[in-house]
Amino acid sequence: MKPPSPPVDPARGTRAIRAYNRMLWWLRGRDPRESREIEDDAERLLDSARARGRSAWAATWLALLWDLMIVGTAQDLARALRSLVRAPGFTLTVALLLGLGVAATTTLFALVNAVVLKPLPYAEPERLVMLWESNVPQKRLLEGPSPGNVDDWATNNDAFEALTSWWTVAATLRGRDGSAPVTGVQVTKGFFEVFRRAPLLGRTFADDEYIGRPSIASGLTGGQEPVLVLSHRLWQSLGADPALVGETIYVEGRNWRVLGVMPADFAVPDTGAGFWTPWDIREAYRGPRFPDGPPRDFRFLRAVARVKRNLSHQAAAERMETLAARIAADHPRTNAGWSVRLVPLGEELVRSSRTELLLVLGAVFGLLLLVAANVASLAIARRTARARETAIRFALGAGGTRIVREHLAETALCAGLTALVAIALTALSLGSAIAFAPSDIPRLHEVELNVSVVSFAIALALLATIIGVGLPGLRGSSTVIASALKDGAPVSGQHASRVRHALVVAEIGVTVVLLVGAGLLARSFARLQRVDPGFDVRNLLVLRIAPDVTRYPGAELRTHYYARVLDSLRELPGVASVAAVTVLPMSTIGSDFYRPYWVEGEGPGPNAPPVADVRMATPGYFGTTGIPIVSGREFSAQDGLGSPLVVIVNESLARAAWNGADPVGRTLILDYQGTPSSRQVVGVVRDARYKGPRSAPAPEIFIPHAQNPYLVMNVVVRTRTDPGALARTARAQALTVDPDQPVHSVTTMERLLDDTLQQDRFAMLFVALFAGAGLVTAATGVYALLAFTVAQRRREIAVRMAIGASSSSVARLVVMESLTLAVVGCVVGGVGVAGVSQLAQSILFGITPHDPLTLVTTAILLLAVVLAASWLPARRAARINPVSAMRI
Amino acid sequence: MSDRPRSVDHLLPLKPKVLHTLLALADGPRHGYGIMQEVAVRSDGQVRLWPAAMYGTLRELEELDWIAETDQRPSDDDERRRYFALTALGKRMLSSEVRRLEAIVSHARGSRALRKPERA
Repeated sequence: MKPPSPPVDPARGTRAIRAYNRMLWWLRGRDPRESREIEDDAERLLDSARARGRSAWAATWLALLWDLMIVGTAQDLARALRSLVRAPGFTLTVALLLGLGVAATTTLFALVNAVVLKPLPYAEPERLVMLWESNVPQKRLLEGPSPGNVDDWATNNDAFEALTSWWTVAATLRGRDGSAPVTGVQVTKGFFEVFRRAPLLGRTFADDEYIGRPSIASGLTGGQEPVLVLSHRLWQSLGADPALVGETIYVEGRNWRVLGVMPADFAVPDTGAGFWTPWDIREAYRGPRFPDGPPRDFRFLRAVARVKRNLSHQAAAERMETLAARIAADHPRTNAGWSVRLVPLGEELVRSSRTELLLVLGAVFGLLLLVAANVASLAIARRTARARETAIRFALGAGGTRIVREHLAETALCAGLTALVAIALTALSLGSAIAFAPSDIPRLHEVELNVSVVSFAIALALLATIIGVGLPGLRGSSTVIASALKDGAPVSGQHASRVRHALVVAEIGVTVVLLVGAGLLARSFARLQRVDPGFDVRNLLVLRIAPDVTRYPGAELRTHYYARVLDSLRELPGVASVAAVTVLPMSTIGSDFYRPYWVEGEGPGPNAPPVADVRMATPGYFGTTGIPIVSGREFSAQDGLGSPLVVIVNESLARAAWNGADPVGRTLILDYQGTPSSRQVVGVVRDARYKGPRSAPAPEIFIPHAQNPYLVMNVVVRTRTDPGALARTARAQALTVDPDQPVHSVTTMERLLDDTLQQDRFAMLFVALFAGAGLVTAATGVYALLAFTVAQRRREIAVRMAIGASSSSVARLVVMESLTLAVVGCVVGGVGVAGVSQLAQSILFGITPHDPLTLVTTAILLLAVVLAASWLPARRAARINPVSAMRI
Repeated sequence: MSDRPRSVDHLLPLKPKVLHTLLALADGPRHGYGIMQEVAVRSDGQVRLWPAAMYGTLRELEELDWIAETDQRPSDDDERRRYFALTALGKRMLSSEVRRLEAIVSHARGSRALRKPERA
């Protein structure tokens, strides 16, 4: 039983009732009789509650207030809904315009959120660092560590709990229905410990399972059964059967035991990873080819480590630098000048995409601002149109608060509607954004419509609606009464007019920035497309063949196999010539070998010798691709295993090694396959841009395939007709030689070239899309403003015309106003362009951010559009009939 | 025009607050405060109506012609208050709803759902 409560101050009840009454007056106040009854009842309820004690009284009072608020709000909302339904044009325009803008921004936010903001899906991700080798004097700041150094780091560091490294290898998976390319990641000990992720199914590798495992490409197993852990994606494509764990799959000509499956969001190094296998660096670099163990001067691996608990990144970096200095002292030939650099993994992953994403987010946010400004413009016009109605209601005794409250309810409804439209559109656009975005944006697969994205959409919808609908309507609902009730007088004051002008100027300014951005990107893209790749990309069909290492173990077998495949392809009608090479220009398939070389007689020198890309090619490769031979000859069938070792070099290498003198007949030492060997230069070919138009040519050395019969080759076919039409036949024809050997990735060279421009095209299209939208928005903004001004100044114009102004001078008045807007907007936009030019610089190709042609074209386009938008209002002004306009 | 009253079943079920309001008026006219009290007493405090919402309901019911303001005032008259009584239509609504609920309850009794466990 409760103790008797203390007597309640009677004044308290009165005060509470007074508060209640005030709220009642605020929120309802419709029927005085009903109001009095509500008031009386509330008082009685409070009185009877007071007898039951203080807490009962408080509960009752709260319940009464809640009741009042719900009813009052529902009334406001109902009234607001009615007024919005009565103006469906306005409501729909607002919801669609703002919804589009919000959806676009939210889509980008979802991308940025997943890629840049969201923490990595690993335990304590802030402790993960990426390790790079860095040589400041040589300006090689972020090089993937070499196997020898990584091995040293892993064994001797005192900064990390675990350190792992990996290398990705293109492999071929063979299933029942043909073969497919997969990416295998060979990882060193500690890989799953560094990332601290448990598998979805099965298990990862035990420590002793790493020992004695050579690389995937070696075709060896170290005497043990090959094992791997599948990525979620590859597991899905294999049928997503949990029973696959423990079974084997057939990759690179061998059966591999599947130990486990990783979760879907585990994507190291990226979503392309198909499986992980254990790798023992020391085992991979053993034997006579590597007398000093794993090499220290081929820097190509990737390494990540988990910093020890309670150790700052700074301290870890210092410890690693000490270790690197010690290694450099022990191995001066390979490591002099080389230190180590730690980059937090979170930063590392987004380094490449951050600029693009932020650029695009900026563009989208600019669009949203435009849209909100236009909606504000609409809302002001609507308020002006309703000013008389409001004023009359006000004069008839509707409370000012009631009008404000209804406006708030209207804003809230618009915001809700906008949010709904935005969320629906975002859900639609997220799917297509993922499909269109460049595939190398890291963590793109994590993009989804989750709670934070939906909350963002709602918050943004609210913000946009407040800017577009809320603020413009709030001002001066009472100040306009007097003037509104005066017949025909302008209802909008100086202030509103100035705000509208500022809005339109801002719209034009933002559009200028977007247009300049789109123009620059388009010009840059056009330049990229015009870049001469160094060979003839038309009518080239490419296909990749990855034979089983078990079936073709020896050099003779491989040479013979490829000779037969190329011959069979030559027989096809429409084929002009055929050749094969380890790495094709523009192709991401196949691995380059970076190997040191020097000119005979000069020796490797005290410093690390320069490196070149080493590729194996069959006779006729240069003729087939159309890479011109500048000097000397092409490989021939005579360049076989028994004949003298020969190479063909490109112009870059000739320049670097012989200062541009013709090197044909000279001898080059190539440190390849363990021991340096002399090879005679028999030809020089023109430079080609192997990695796409943006890439600069690099020194290259070509070896006859017969003298080093590499197993996995890219076959290139010069056709006389459309190469795409030949794709199916060519693949079938290649399979006739040995139906068991996988032939895949059949495509055309033009497609490959196109793919290298994917990012540039994406950026260009995106910004162009928004620039177009911005232009339309700015044009509507200008139109709305001028149309409004003309309507407002109707009487003034009529007076001018009555005292002799001509139609054309009136029209000129309107056009001049639009031109002023455009010029001021261009100046504002120019400032914006200067602001973002730094950001744009990094993604432009062969063009400066201040490209005069782009700037002038933008200005002309903008003026033209603004003039077009002012045409209708100007004509309307010119056609005003002074007599009818001045009649009231 | 048909003599037979049209079926009102398509308006059922009634919202709980409407049902409670109609029920409170079933025994005779009451004023607003009376309705609130009656509902609270009958439902043993489980259902409470609050004034702002309740007068809104009363207005709606009046517009529907289910209740009407009445001059029949009890002896302890409070002259400032409006008294409400069920109209014929209101009575029909109430009895249709009660019949509907009865059917549900008897169905539930017949099924196993409401049988009390042996050891209750």
